[in-house]
Amino acid sequence: MTTVEKLKKVLVEGLNLEGLTPGAIDENAPLFGEGLGLDSLDVVELVVIVKKHFGIEIQNMDEAKGAFQSVHTLASYIEGRQSNG
Amino acid sequence: MQPTDGADARQNRKSWSARSIGSRWQHRFFYALIRLAGRRAAYVMVVFVALYYVLFRPSVRARSRPYLSRRFPGRNALFRLWDSCRITVEIGKVLVDRAALGILGPGQLTVRHSRREDLLERIREGRGLILVTAHAGCWQFAMESLRMLETPVSLLLHREEGDVDLHIFEHRGDDAAFRIIDPAGPLGGALEMLQVLKHGEVLCIMGDRAIGGDRSTVEVEFLRGRVRVPVTPYQLASATAAPVVVIFPYKSGPGNYSLQVEKVIRVPEDLGRSPEAYRPYAEAFIRSLEGFVEKRPYQFFNFFDLWNQEPMR
Repeated sequence: MTTVEKLKKVLVEGLNLEGLTPGAIDENAPLFGEGLGLDSLDVVELVVIVKKHFGIEIQNMDEAKGAFQSVHTLASYIEGRQSNG
Repeated sequence: MQPTDGADARQNRKSWSARSIGSRWQHRFFYALIRLAGRRAAYVMVVFVALYYVLFRPSVRARSRPYLSRRFPGRNALFRLWDSCRITVEIGKVLVDRAALGILGPGQLTVRHSRREDLLERIREGRGLILVTAHAGCWQFAMESLRMLETPVSLLLHREEGDVDLHIFEHRGDDAAFRIIDPAGPLGGALEMLQVLKHGEVLCIMGDRAIGGDRSTVEVEFLRGRVRVPVTPYQLASATAAPVVVIFPYKSGPGNYSLQVEKVIRVPEDLGRSPEAYRPYAEAFIRSLEGFVEKRPYQFFNFFDLWNQEPMR
């Protein structure tokens, strides 16, 4: 399973995105507002999910701002952090 | 309790403003009075100004009515007027103190911290500290006094555009003792708040006013009515394992303030995104606030109609 696929799965499960399947998520759509429809309250949960399922603790919130643009950018961020050990 | 009427709530939101009721020249008059004659002279003037506003500006009485009518149910018209005068004078004095602190310097006021060691102990846990407070006493002064924690303090605060009422640090012309995180900023300031806690710093949030949509609040019982309060502090605590400490600043005498540490709330980790999961902690805060307004009814300065609200969006 690719990082993007795993991320879609844990987002649907972790955020209880009713009526949405991992396959239906456009990986380039914005996470917040239009797109996946997440709001500011979900930011906290996103940080928790990334730590829980990918073992990455987001310390630098400036980086996170860029990562939280879409599923694709978040997956890239996760892979980048994983490859840097 | 009647269910909240959506149209009334929207009107409540629309007609309410956090901006000062005073005009720019009135603020400048008080600032000059404090500079020339001192804080006590300004207190005397506050009484006359408060009387004017309460007697001749029904809108001022209306702002305090939702809270006072629930805190003092069954009062007759004369007592209602007295309550309105009293709370208007009290907030006037607090505003004078705040300006005096900024204009004349820190020697003007003293603050007593209850359970200071408790706060330091929580900070030493290294997971950050979430202070949940309310629109009570002079919260800005309380924030300033948190310098004693020797840890950076951030405050979640939305300031209305065009507000002429100056903050303490604006009077002084220097930097604030605390950093302001605007909930109207990107992603509601959530990333900034998380960063504060990740760095082991102090984050202060008003627990008595909802900022955000329905999803960030729960409805709880407060003074015989239902109010919506934010769950953000408790959700952050669950995500970061930071302890939550409920504090209330209040004016304990002329020139004296106290920072009362009410209770420590521990929120279990991984409670998820449902606001309902955080209801017990929001309830715990509100019970503390009820205890506070029971003891110090004229020190609660939330002039928004909490019982008839539509959350800010």
